[in-house]
Amino acid sequence: MDDIFVAVTGINASDNPAPGIGVARSLKEYTSLNFKIAGLAYDAMEPGIYMDWLIDKSFLIPYPAAGYKAIIERILYIKHTFGLDVIIPTLDSELPFYIKSRRELELHGIKTFLPSDEQFRLRSKEYITSIAAQSGLQAPKQAVVTSYKELVTAVQEIGLPVIVKGTLYKAYRAYSIEEAMSYFSKIVAEWGYPVIVQQAVNGEEINVIGVGDGAGNLSGRVAVKKMSVTELGKIWTGVTIHHPKLLEATQQFVATSRWQGAFEMECIVEQDKVYLIEINPRFPAWVYFATGVGVNLPVMLLKLALGENVESAEEYEAGKLYIRYTNEQICDMANFQNLVTRGES
Amino acid sequence: MNTNNRIARLAINEEGFVFDPQTGESFTVNQTGKVILKALMRSDSEESIILQLTEQFALSPQEAQADVRDFIHHLRAYQLIY
Repeated sequence: MDDIFVAVTGINASDNPAPGIGVARSLKEYTSLNFKIAGLAYDAMEPGIYMDWLIDKSFLIPYPAAGYKAIIERILYIKHTFGLDVIIPTLDSELPFYIKSRRELELHGIKTFLPSDEQFRLRSKEYITSIAAQSGLQAPKQAVVTSYKELVTAVQEIGLPVIVKGTLYKAYRAYSIEEAMSYFSKIVAEWGYPVIVQQAVNGEEINVIGVGDGAGNLSGRVAVKKMSVTELGKIWTGVTIHHPKLLEATQQFVATSRWQGAFEMECIVEQDKVYLIEINPRFPAWVYFATGVGVNLPVMLLKLALGENVESAEEYEAGKLYIRYTNEQICDMANFQNLVTRGES
Repeated sequence: MNTNNRIARLAINEEGFVFDPQTGESFTVNQTGKVILKALMRSDSEESIILQLTEQFALSPQEAQADVRDFIHHLRAYQLIY
């Protein structure tokens, strides 16, 4: 069996974990194919670099802000020195680059399986209302604002409390206009404009992750309820669920948008109403939960990237628990030294 | 008794641990609650449930009826029964 060389980003398995380690673990557990995994890191202290049972080789890569040329050059270097058949970016901030560069990468024999530019734009937080309607779900009232004046108007129209969120990262609950203004300036300073003001919906938070094949078919999906989260809002314990309306909406979302690639739908259930809060165009950090219950979404995505047929996953069991835990690793200084001096280890 | 699909889909073990696969919520019930819940999941009538309770526990029909109605009231509050 030939080796398949896969690069995975987001290997920062910290208290704010990125999805890369869950993706790598899912690939390594699929023993029908031989995966050689390159971990792409932005910092020499990203824990995934030192997890050699999952990451075969690590490379430092430039931040997206470094520009197209610098990133492409680094990727091609990895292709020539390690091998690279498929690249799986897992961080929101990287996706615009990989979506725009997919043809160039393909010319160099590097495959991806990502949403189109149009799909990426339509699932953005600004357009969540229309996606919700297409999928048969409710959407919280929201407004996209770029000034204090617009913010105040939006808060008055939506009613307090509101969620103030950036288009890519961060979300805060504000109980007064003053609080909303403070969060607005905080988000703008860190992530820029625009800012989204959203109705705060009460209810249980449930999430679905899946992979769409780009032709309207849902290759696999798993719905979970977060039972406990960390102070940063990251899942710590969870349970698989079967929520018929949500699973039907997921199918409808993939069918109508012909979604290609990984996605995570974040919803809030309030009695019979299911509100669509957000669609992330990538796997979440807890993607291994799906693999653990028999739905290996990263392998499905990888096979689709390689042009292979993927049969729809079998049904998973509701009531399976997910429990994160902390761990420590002791290793030699050599890996760190190599990363710092040579940019790879 | 008519129940919605949600209660019929509950998973309940011998110790009375109940899991709702639609919401991910779980709760525990005592022995009496377990008998009532299992009977409701089978769509048994109220009379039948009262009879089951009086046969299995040292209860008068009046006490059993009060227990059943109180339990159903709780299930309604949790929207497991409409």
